[in-house]
Amino acid sequence: MKVGVYLCECGTNITEKVDLDQVSATISELDNVGYVSKIGLMCSYDGVSVFEDDLQKQKPDRVVVAACSPRDHEATFMKAMTKVGINQYLMQMVNFREQLSWVTEDKQAATDKAIVMLKGAIARVVQQEALEKKSITMNNDVLIIGAGPAGLKAALTLAEADRKVTIIEKSPMIGGLPVRYEELFPKMECGPCMLEPIEHEILHGDHAENIEIITQAELKEVKGFYGNFIAKIIKAPRYVDTEICIGCAECVGACPVSVKNPMNSNMNEKKAMDFTFFGALPNATYIDYEACLRSKGESCEACKTACPIEGAVIFDDKEEIIEKNVGAILLAIGTQLYDATLLPNLGYGALKDVVTSYEFERILSSGGPTGGQILKSNGDIPKSIAIIHCVGSLDENHKSYCSGTCCQTGFKFAHELHHKVGESTITHFYKQLVFPGKSDYPLYKNAMNNSHAKFVNYLSTSDINVVENKKGVKTISYKDVSGISGEIEADMIILLPATIPGLDNESLSSLLEVNLDKEGFFEELHGLVDSVRSKVKGIFVAGSCQSPTDIKGAVNQGVAAAGYMLSGLVPGRKLEIEPIVAEVIEDKCAGCHVCVLVCPYKAIQFNEETKKSSINAVLCQGCGTCVSACPANAIIGHHFTKEEIYEEIRGVLS
Amino acid sequence: MSKKPKIAMYWASACGGCEVSLANVHEVLLDIDANFELVFCPCLVDGKIKDVEAMDDGELLITFFNGAIRNSENEEMAHLLRKKTKILIAYGACSKDGGIPALANLSSKEELFNTVYINNPSIDNPKGIIPQRVTIVEEGELRIPEFYNKVKSLGQTVDVDYFMPGCPPEPDQLINVVNLVLSGAELPPKGSVIGVGKTTVCEECSRKKSDKKISRIYRTYEIIPDEETCLLEQGIVCMGIATRGGCGGLCPNVNMPCTGCYGPPAGVDDQGAKMIGALGAIIDIAAIKDMPEEDIPDYVDNILKSIPDYAGTFYKFSLATALVNGRVNK
Repeated sequence: MKVGVYLCECGTNITEKVDLDQVSATISELDNVGYVSKIGLMCSYDGVSVFEDDLQKQKPDRVVVAACSPRDHEATFMKAMTKVGINQYLMQMVNFREQLSWVTEDKQAATDKAIVMLKGAIARVVQQEALEKKSITMNNDVLIIGAGPAGLKAALTLAEADRKVTIIEKSPMIGGLPVRYEELFPKMECGPCMLEPIEHEILHGDHAENIEIITQAELKEVKGFYGNFIAKIIKAPRYVDTEICIGCAECVGACPVSVKNPMNSNMNEKKAMDFTFFGALPNATYIDYEACLRSKGESCEACKTACPIEGAVIFDDKEEIIEKNVGAILLAIGTQLYDATLLPNLGYGALKDVVTSYEFERILSSGGPTGGQILKSNGDIPKSIAIIHCVGSLDENHKSYCSGTCCQTGFKFAHELHHKVGESTITHFYKQLVFPGKSDYPLYKNAMNNSHAKFVNYLSTSDINVVENKKGVKTISYKDVSGISGEIEADMIILLPATIPGLDNESLSSLLEVNLDKEGFFEELHGLVDSVRSKVKGIFVAGSCQSPTDIKGAVNQGVAAAGYMLSGLVPGRKLEIEPIVAEVIEDKCAGCHVCVLVCPYKAIQFNEETKKSSINAVLCQGCGTCVSACPANAIIGHHFTKEEIYEEIRGVLS
Repeated sequence: MSKKPKIAMYWASACGGCEVSLANVHEVLLDIDANFELVFCPCLVDGKIKDVEAMDDGELLITFFNGAIRNSENEEMAHLLRKKTKILIAYGACSKDGGIPALANLSSKEELFNTVYINNPSIDNPKGIIPQRVTIVEEGELRIPEFYNKVKSLGQTVDVDYFMPGCPPEPDQLINVVNLVLSGAELPPKGSVIGVGKTTVCEECSRKKSDKKISRIYRTYEIIPDEETCLLEQGIVCMGIATRGGCGGLCPNVNMPCTGCYGPPAGVDDQGAKMIGALGAIIDIAAIKDMPEEDIPDYVDNILKSIPDYAGTFYKFSLATALVNGRVNK
């Protein structure tokens, strides 16, 4: 075995602290060391060519490079080795700079340590094996779950690059939450008007043929891995053909059944055959089958009779199971509000005209229960309004975090109230006010400058108590941060509850084996630099199911995820599999199952037929957790084998 | 004089169970007798040490050496039998890995003597007499073997050809080994572990296994385990996952956890460490997600508290050859 040892001087970075001549003299005497070469700046263009020329001349069996951290230049030297036809995994780097010359003052001590480090590396490299990268074909299509702003923008970005996208959406409409809001902060743009162009682009734009939208659909099962997922989708019957329905609403008028309208938080009614709301896309009605007379055995055909389009109403529509092969999956299922009834002192659920932010959004909406007029439940215009911020937020007993968007929602409401009901008094109760960024300040200023507005800073929701007298007048008694108590009357109370993970975060987490964080949001790979990747390769997360965010944040994440998918799933390019992965030696596996749940990347499957575990090399990141967990010594960690590690230790101790 | 190849079975620091395993081959004993001459086995036949000493080197074809090396007599016999034997087999857990006697390596010789001869409720020893190598009596000098400070395996004492684990080794495995030698087939490479399965006890255990997460550990008297599910999944420390197979999964198949007598699986240097590593991997720590950092050690400690004796649980049979092999280092 001929080991070539290269010592980089790194300018004076290494030579100042390490006597490389002494190192070279000592190391040259060791077993297996064929030669020792010193190079000035090995990572420089010239340094790399000297390295390459020398490799070609010497033809070593193994290479040791003592230079900087492998994080700096391991790839550089690996590439050079590949270039001259030596397997790049036959190289071991020794970190002479960060771990030695930068941290050791005494030159002799540093030199001694350098020799010890090299002994370890030389002993190790002899054990190293040539590893080959493998590659497999990838599917370039994408599945997006959730048709809110994050999902839609991701879909458009992908479709524009000619990727086939399937969006599945649980509700009968697309657009997510903002499409239901009359105005959006910070610039008071009309929600539906802003999102409709995006929706139209999705449905009818230049790249619409690349996008398939499946509404009333949920993910049932996913098999496979990055580049090769097989997703099973269940689509509930809509009873209306969205392809041919023109949204004329004739059927709605004809339908004899009225039910509570969930879109408006049951504040008004809708028909069993109806739109989710007027203007919702796809522009087609749907039947709420549980409310429909036909589900009760009656033979009503009012909607079908009224429908001018032959075949648009399909009474015998059935649940469908759709299978899609995709390369990556984006989770963008949005958010919901914290349950305000968990703070009973605020009166929500018990008292009339105590509403959540979502309910007030619907009251503001022209498609809402009051046609956009701000009215109390008795039809009167409210004269005094209280907006309670931070409901359930910044509270260890509820949600400890700040959702970051409710302040702007509250200020937006104040703005709308000022315009729609003029002289009403508005009292903001808040724990903290936040308005970061370049756009949020104006709405806050506007709310502050309102001469009818008052701000009360409170510490804990338990310091606020809402009661109602027999005449229906609500009184809010409170204690502020300085301990001063007060009382105000309010006709209407708007609560701004914390935004919490979507309803399906939990079920999708177990289905896709994507982790949830302690609050129940989808856990990102890294909070700062990788917030749209989950820990499962090929499954991405975007929007408020990952962390509370506003539309801008959600859209940015959606587009960022699309970027990852575009750079990862390139037509014609194969998925290159790193060979530094773990592998089950089948003959040694006793089928004890210990490894299966240990893997943080869900790369281990258990085959019930052979009673053996196997590791998916695409998903494996080579972390070695299973290698150490396997009690039968049946899992080998390539490039970090027991023999390599033992030899390295032996070398260091020799 | 018989022309049959000679074999021996010797007990060093042992309990006699290994001899029972030889007796347990039942009628196969007749086949063994037909093919071999058992010349030396203090437990079963009348052979003397001087007979062995008188033999030529390598005159014994096989010696099944059981028991650990606890004292100077054990050591002398190991050297003698090594010299006289062609195929020396470390037979049984004590001989292979130190076995239960090696658990004494957690205490010094003085501590052991103190416990056994002095500080023991059932001992009446007012003069504090402990064994002496040499005792002068009227008739002369009495000598007993020297009690060592540390128990060693046979392999740590002499060169061993093959290792056969088990407490005791299964009779079927003994028959397999004898048949292999008789068949004249090529023997496995020197140093091999023989008479064992390919993987671990799990492969031979018929219990149903699935993904493991355990949130507390039970001792065997605390629960009546379900008869079909993996014992480890029920919170009982079953060493089967980290134990070489070959026994047929005897213990788990009768509702008792494996205690590890077949020693570490192939390629494993430290059975206890492997078991601890695996146990660490399957202890359910999901609950720590919302836990303040300072509470986490307590939570883990609470789970581990139910293991009363780490060494006795994880190293019951293999402490002498483990990486960290005891408290006394002499």
